[in-house]
Amino acid sequence: MDLVDLIAEKRFLGQEFLTWLWWKSEERGGSVELPDSGDILVEFEKHMLLEYGEEEYEERLICSGLQSELKEARTGLQTGKKIEQARVRLVKGDHEYHVTLGATLMDFRSVRLPKTAEGSASNESGREESEGLILERIFLCEEVMKVIDDLFRLFVTVRTSDQWGHELNTIRQWVAGISNEG
Amino acid sequence: MGFLNGSVSFVRFTVVGDLPENPLEYIGRRISAYSFRDIDESTEEYSIGWVSVANMFDASFSYASYQVGDYVVLTLRIDERKVPAAVIKKMVAKEEMRMCQERQLPKLGRAARAEIKESVIRTISAKTVPVPAVYDVCWSLTDATVLFFTTNKKAHALLEDFFKDCFGLLLSQQIPYTLAERLLEDDHLENLPLLKPQLFI
Repeated sequence: MDLVDLIAEKRFLGQEFLTWLWWKSEERGGSVELPDSGDILVEFEKHMLLEYGEEEYEERLICSGLQSELKEARTGLQTGKKIEQARVRLVKGDHEYHVTLGATLMDFRSVRLPKTAEGSASNESGREESEGLILERIFLCEEVMKVIDDLFRLFVTVRTSDQWGHELNTIRQWVAGISNEG
Repeated sequence: MGFLNGSVSFVRFTVVGDLPENPLEYIGRRISAYSFRDIDESTEEYSIGWVSVANMFDASFSYASYQVGDYVVLTLRIDERKVPAAVIKKMVAKEEMRMCQERQLPKLGRAARAEIKESVIRTISAKTVPVPAVYDVCWSLTDATVLFFTTNKKAHALLEDFFKDCFGLLLSQQIPYTLAERLLEDDHLENLPLLKPQLFI
């Protein structure tokens, strides 16, 4: 199967991942345990894009707002809409990231990397970007990718296992119950 | 948004294919051969090539090396002379009118009109400053992965073609399914192609 067909046929995997991640982030009050890194904080933020239907019948719902609790997005899930894009805050140790994740291509949009001492000093002095700064930016990009990859690995491992049926039921209960919480 | 400042947006590609012996020497040679060529002083319509991430005018990498640790860090610069279609249409009509009056003709022939259009495009293009676009690229030689710092799909296609021409290597965009293939253990991997979309209601 070529990549274009693979993208179209398997896009549900990324969309299911984002729904699973939203549930996972609320399951333990924002804390998700990763096998190698321990607990990290995952919080869904003020922006979400949901989709329903295919091609010409596709509907899109954009939910955003500074103090938004994503009530419309929650209702959208209950009507079978799929999450196509979500803004997520991730905290690992001292590092805090904000990233808008795309479901279909797993693209990383508007990623806010943590401010670091070296990066700030370089910007203030306006000197030539040093090799150190480049390496630091690469390190931070790789760290946020690794966190997402680890979360995605957790999802696809359970998604391809016998435990999925149980996890799916729990997620369905969460989707059905979330309107009462808001 | 550049890779070195502020927030970043990016997609991931897997590099498919093998580098020859002495990969760094090969990469250096290919980057030189495919470095950006300025067209500000010419009338060429399009130019694409590598420049330094630190400076878009540095195609010889004297401000910063492209090699940083195990990474190759570059900027893909594309300059294009873009003349709005409405401007061409207006100037062609103006020139046609002037020619009709000069030759005392009610209408010009097809060949004359084609010649006018060609001449107008050439003249306006030469006066137009090329519009630059820059996209940062970070190639991890250890992981055979390329981060491309834009979500513009047209730019993705340009990078794939240019990377292939330059290094003789293919780029394959990483999507959730291919990422799952890389991340899953063997016993889970065999179930991956069997998955069907699931409803959460």
